[in-house]
Amino acid sequence: MAHRLRTLPPRYWLVLVVVLFLIGLPSVIDSFQSGEWAQALVLAIAIMGLNILVGYSGQLSLGHGAFMALGAYISAILATRYKMDYLVTVPIAGLLTGLIGFLFGVPALRLSALYLALATFALAVVAPSLIKRPAGLTGGVQGIVLLPPVPPQPLSDAYAFLTGTAMTSDQWTYYVTLAWGLVLFWLAWNLLRHRAGRAMRAIRDGEVAAAASGINLAGYKTLAFGISAFYAGIAGSLFGLAAGFVSPDSFPVALSIQLLVGAVVGGLASIPGPLIGGIFAYFLPIESNQWVPTQTWIPVQIATTIEKAGPAVTYGAVLILIMIFAPNGIVGLVGGAYARLRGRVRGAPDRDTGQMPQDTQTV
Amino acid sequence: MAALLELEDVRAGYGPTSVLHGISLEVKDGEIVSLLGANGAGKTTTLRAITGGVRWTGDIRFNGKSLKRMHTEDVVRHGIAHVPEGRGILTELTVEENLKLGSHLRRDGAQVGKDYDRVFEYFPVLKDRRRLSASTLSGGEQQMLALARAFLMKPRLMLLDEPSLGLAPLVVRAIFEIIKTINESDQVAVLLVEQNARLALDMSSKAYVLEVGRLAITGSSAELKGNDAVRRSYLGY
Amino acid sequence: MQEFLQLVVSGLATGGIFASLALALVLIYNAMGLVNFAQGEMAMLATFIAFTLINRGVNYWIALPLTLVIAFGGGIAIQRIVIRPVERAPLLTLVIITLGLATLLNGLAGAIFGYVPRSFPSPFSVQTVDIFGAYASYRDLGVIAVSGVVLLAIYLLLQRTTVGLTMRAAAHHAEASRLLGVRVSWMLALGWGLASAVGAVSGIMVAPIILLEPNMMQTIIIYAFAAAVLGGIESPLGAVIGGFIVGVTVNLAGTYLPFVGGDLQLAVALAIIIGVLILKPNGLLGRPSVRRV
Repeated sequence: MAHRLRTLPPRYWLVLVVVLFLIGLPSVIDSFQSGEWAQALVLAIAIMGLNILVGYSGQLSLGHGAFMALGAYISAILATRYKMDYLVTVPIAGLLTGLIGFLFGVPALRLSALYLALATFALAVVAPSLIKRPAGLTGGVQGIVLLPPVPPQPLSDAYAFLTGTAMTSDQWTYYVTLAWGLVLFWLAWNLLRHRAGRAMRAIRDGEVAAAASGINLAGYKTLAFGISAFYAGIAGSLFGLAAGFVSPDSFPVALSIQLLVGAVVGGLASIPGPLIGGIFAYFLPIESNQWVPTQTWIPVQIATTIEKAGPAVTYGAVLILIMIFAPNGIVGLVGGAYARLRGRVRGAPDRDTGQMPQDTQTV
Repeated sequence: MAALLELEDVRAGYGPTSVLHGISLEVKDGEIVSLLGANGAGKTTTLRAITGGVRWTGDIRFNGKSLKRMHTEDVVRHGIAHVPEGRGILTELTVEENLKLGSHLRRDGAQVGKDYDRVFEYFPVLKDRRRLSASTLSGGEQQMLALARAFLMKPRLMLLDEPSLGLAPLVVRAIFEIIKTINESDQVAVLLVEQNARLALDMSSKAYVLEVGRLAITGSSAELKGNDAVRRSYLGY
Repeated sequence: MQEFLQLVVSGLATGGIFASLALALVLIYNAMGLVNFAQGEMAMLATFIAFTLINRGVNYWIALPLTLVIAFGGGIAIQRIVIRPVERAPLLTLVIITLGLATLLNGLAGAIFGYVPRSFPSPFSVQTVDIFGAYASYRDLGVIAVSGVVLLAIYLLLQRTTVGLTMRAAAHHAEASRLLGVRVSWMLALGWGLASAVGAVSGIMVAPIILLEPNMMQTIIIYAFAAAVLGGIESPLGAVIGGFIVGVTVNLAGTYLPFVGGDLQLAVALAIIIGVLILKPNGLLGRPSVRRV
């Protein structure tokens, strides 16, 4: 046992450190910031799902914001209309959204990657207006307001015992989100390390070859769609929890782009990438708005442009630059540097850092 | 006098695989030269190296000028017409449009018109089908189109990659007749890659035989034809 | 009947707008096998440039061609700076880059011009003229006319000029074209320039109708996608026909199908996209292409 502990690869220790950090975080930041971190984790969960679809099975979906919306609204409706406990609605929303994603995956099989991107992009743009229509069910333009979640008493007491203050609603939201995040991360890790992951990567790198080696193309691709929609559904449901309400305008096409940016920046086809991506995607616009004006070395015109443009300019520029210079995202950069370092020290072979797929030119 | 085309110790390959291991050859003005050898010997790679389709080291000089690091389209603009394996027919376009792409760089309008007349004289089928899509042509007709197009470029050197491939003997003979005519009347040099060694030797004055990326034998076509041993071991007949 | 004709005419007008943007998409698709998700935002930016020119007192009919020239240059610049470095990258990478470009341009427009919607002048009055008993506005007729002229010009350029021939050759057969002396890389840039100019027409024509603001092309591009997919993404003619069909269909659906109404017209475009991709993925005029492995 001790021997096994000693020979665990360094990344296991890294994961442990990160998990401990995340568990302890709310005690060192204020309650509002906990709520923000919860939202970042929500994005990370959605990005995990997107990563499975894009990074691993090579299907580009630009409509994951729509799946988040679906999960969010399912939870909201179940909670407000049918008076279900919100926490119970989360897995239900996830499973339902996953099922719909799986069904989506079936016709998606017939579309080339390009057409799939096009169709899902169109879906993302249309989604808000589709939500507004059945106003009786969805609350129309105004959406649905949710009651802030109350932490269960025993947990709050335990927290107060440890930190001296009672657990706030935001902190409770953070821990719920974190718990789901950890579970889903573990799930993804196991899924992708084994047969399903290898199959999907084979599909991503060359469908014809994969099919020729006996991989069930249709099965894995629809499975990928279903799983990634499941993740997005959970994320959407947790989003409602964190934000306190759901409305059509919470899920614009920009959200789907934001998820894509996060996935790419973190590193497609990497397991830790989504966490980095989620943090990046959520905090970048906030930081750029607050931090940039304080930096005196940035010329005033550029600073005001960045401030006025909001995150869009930065997102766009980052997306382009990363795809040109570092297509494997931050994890790729770090992983590559680490591997090179290790190689120089030990002469060990490079790790698989995951690459963007070689695509077949199809219509 | 320097030859029109000179290859000096050319090595070329695809990625980590090396195909040519140091080839030297030359083609003089107005000469027809054969490049022979079995499948995989490197004949096609040699032509591709000349027009920049593959990375190479060594030197390749055309008209005294080195072609090192030149893009394909610039090499071609210096006066080399390359009819590749598969003929390079633009099947999305019509026959006429394909021909136009042969002549589109020329400035001598009147001469261009005369050359079109000659092309239609050599290959009447191209005139009949000129408004049709090039994809409707048969193999032999596509070869004719490729040749006509190359001729319209008014090159000083033509690189022909297996013009006889997949064609009926009658068609092949007709095409080779025309190649010979073009060579004689317009002083167009030809570097001819062929698997059909007999045909090639009949047309060319000199031949190089490649074997696994190296030059095995070279000599005048008459010599090679006359040497039974050479014919049997290198040329397959 | 009157109402029907009116809807058809105004549908043709919006159709002309969709057709122009769809044509831009098809031009780039033909050149690179890529759908340029930034086409709408490029058009939007060009429209803002036109707006600035007109505001400074430039006559509309001078500002329009001037903007097209600027848009042309902009398209070439984007191809040279952003696209060419990654020419050989996998398709997915290129798609993501165009998405990044779209986001960037949107943010840029927002930063420079702000998000307040502005009215964009049209040289055509909104007065109506009587055609066979139906009323069609001068503006709609003007849009149809201008779109028609631009689309015809592109057609003539591509089909009847040497430049157009070399562009088409480079788009469909890059390697073979190089062997004929065609500077394929520049033809690609030219394609982007042309697409950008055609897209700009779309933006300038639609701005008077829906008000000029950075997000204005986000719905238009969905209609353009529908048009391009319907017509066959490889066919310029298909894109044009598709554009007009989509324009008229969406207009009629909005009025005659009560559950669509005004707010779900975009969903009609989505339905067209999904329907075509499932039933006849090559569109009306597309040809089934071989999957290259």
